[in-house]
Amino acid sequence: MSATTQLPATPTPSTPSSRVGGGTPRPPQRLRRGGLRSERPGVRIAAWATVIVCGGFGLLPVYWLLATSLTPRDQVFAYPPRFFPAAPTLDAFASLAANEQLFGYLRNSVIVSVITAVLSVLVSAYMGYSFSKFRYRGRRSLMYLVLASQMFPQALLLVTLYSVFSAYNLLNTYTALVLSFTTFTLPLCVWMLKGFFDTIPDELIEAARVDGASRLRIIHSIVLPLAAPGLIAAGLFAFVRGWNDFVFALTLAGPEKQTLPPGLVNTFIGEASTAWPELMAASLVVSLPVAIAFIALQKYLVGGLTAGAVKG
Amino acid sequence: MSTNPLMQSAVSRRRMLQLLGIGAGTAALAACAPSAPAASGGAASAAATGGARTDFAFSSWSFTEEAAAPALEAIVKAYEDHADVTVNDVSFPYNEYINQLTLQVKGGQFTGAAHVDVAWLGSLAAMGKLQDLSALTEGRGYTDAALAAAQFDGVQYGLPWTIGAIGLVTNSALLEKVGVSGDAFPTTIDEFEKTLKDLKGLGGGLIPYAASTKAAQLKDILIWMETFGSPLVDGDTVTIGDDASVEAVTWYKSLYDQKLIAADVDRFDARSLFAQGRAAIYDDAPVGRGAVTEESPDKDLGSKLVPVSRPVLKAGDTPRALVWGGAIAVVDGEGAATAADFAQFATSDLDTVLADYEVRGLPPVTTEAQQSEVVSSDVFGSLFNERITATSSSNPFWAFTAYSQIETEIAEQVQAVLVGKTDPKTAMQQAGEAAQKLIG
Repeated sequence: MSATTQLPATPTPSTPSSRVGGGTPRPPQRLRRGGLRSERPGVRIAAWATVIVCGGFGLLPVYWLLATSLTPRDQVFAYPPRFFPAAPTLDAFASLAANEQLFGYLRNSVIVSVITAVLSVLVSAYMGYSFSKFRYRGRRSLMYLVLASQMFPQALLLVTLYSVFSAYNLLNTYTALVLSFTTFTLPLCVWMLKGFFDTIPDELIEAARVDGASRLRIIHSIVLPLAAPGLIAAGLFAFVRGWNDFVFALTLAGPEKQTLPPGLVNTFIGEASTAWPELMAASLVVSLPVAIAFIALQKYLVGGLTAGAVKG
Repeated sequence: MSTNPLMQSAVSRRRMLQLLGIGAGTAALAACAPSAPAASGGAASAAATGGARTDFAFSSWSFTEEAAAPALEAIVKAYEDHADVTVNDVSFPYNEYINQLTLQVKGGQFTGAAHVDVAWLGSLAAMGKLQDLSALTEGRGYTDAALAAAQFDGVQYGLPWTIGAIGLVTNSALLEKVGVSGDAFPTTIDEFEKTLKDLKGLGGGLIPYAASTKAAQLKDILIWMETFGSPLVDGDTVTIGDDASVEAVTWYKSLYDQKLIAADVDRFDARSLFAQGRAAIYDDAPVGRGAVTEESPDKDLGSKLVPVSRPVLKAGDTPRALVWGGAIAVVDGEGAATAADFAQFATSDLDTVLADYEVRGLPPVTTEAQQSEVVSSDVFGSLFNERITATSSSNPFWAFTAYSQIETEIAEQVQAVLVGKTDPKTAMQQAGEAAQKLIG
């Protein structure tokens, strides 16, 4: 891909430098035409305007979250609305720090999300590898069966899972949450990883086999390391799914194993009013771990999600 | 072994049919999954209060609410000391509460005492797991109106706890600016509309009446339909679509067009607008008082809150209001007898009720509590009871388990009228037909 977006280092009659008479070779430049470095002012202004609008679209809600968390409760709905809090206060954050129950919700969220991510990656890696690299009777049917579970409304599955977990005394346990979250993350993770494994040449596997590597050795020492970006992407997806879930956590977890989303709603949204500053402060704090994880792993995430999307 | 690129797995029509087959098969399997035990034939008639007391669960949406939780914790603590048992609290957010409670009760996961909105009693009673608590009402001083609010189909499925109504709440300071003070609030709809126009004339972006206009809360229109003379339901026949309901919606639409009511307002929006002094009148239950005073920059707003009777179509008519409130129901099963005893204690023990009132400010249900100094000295509470709750009535759709869907059908049609997509007559006819289908 990079070859098509870079200008050649040596000037030729067709390059811009030769047309303006400059004989000095220019360093390679990326995306000269139509990109942010375009020399045409109109294009540059339009490009920057687009970036600013898109950035504002993404960042304004986050700013509003922060601003509301710093606003006293009686000024949250002040009219006309203020872009900057008139009397900023950290009361909402102090209130959070004093609420021990929220730390319990946080602990539960971390436990459930991490186990869901690990379990999803573990299972979907082997399933994806099997679907990608082996041929056996029923393979395609199995692949679509995995996908079929995504076709049902979650509410329908919730009632069914509730009954099943109830019958096996699994309600109000981490196990119930992890199993239910994994149920939803597996199909996408499996298909995502299958696409990733498809891009790993069979010749590589054949070469390892010729060198005497066993099947397990091939998977663990050759294929999985190469698929690390895909595994990380799948793991992040599963983690976020577990971190954000509301309905299943509310229904299956019980008071002791409650995770953050239902915990925050239960704590800050009442019958008649909502504690907006506290809710926004809590939302801000609990989104930090996910944001940090995304920032740290974004290059893997993008690579993992797009792997297998291009044929060839 | 060969690679199998994902692109080779394009879904063909044949494959799609196979998928649908698999989906149907899985749905069938889901249907075969273990289900909740069948509901018993009817509610148990004896709510035992004697015998050994046992631990039980008590569910309420208020356990985690900042303002209400201390009151509930105090009640639970008082009962635990009184009865020497442990009460296990269970809580779900208000908006999810009825769904979660229904699931837990159906699945046999929950037994004991449950805080319920009186609107939900019909749906919960239909499961056949609520006890008939009528034996526990005798000699406790419950008012007849409160007992009636916690009944369904003539059976006392709940003990009333905090029964009031939804009515008009005004900002007296704003009304005084247009010459409406004290008891001089308009009594007829024509006078009411004139007052709204006067309030509009004050300018400054004031919304005269923050009536509900979002579909989620447009069920408030039902009380105006009753005010215009529609019974809503006659036996099992829905009457929406009659002249009175059409007139009510036509009038509501005219308020909307004159900007006397605002677009996109639900109960939460109305409270915020009212708290900020941007609305002069709105509909609410007593529970809203704490929310508006807490959210308001006007620290004196509490003293300006005045509940008023809803205007009537013509002088002499009885003002209409919708019953609102909470009850404690008892789900049959382990600990139910003690839970019933707790329900009676929490709702009628004078000291407990008065201590609760001082924290939550919600209307008590026994004559003794209502006449107590603590309650009668609360001007807002007394006026609310006298002007609104006294003439309130239940929503007739609560008698049907599909009441929520019925209200949604009506609300969507009314909203279509407000935004000009249809006319009141057509909309109300369609709403009535849809509601009738849901009733069966």
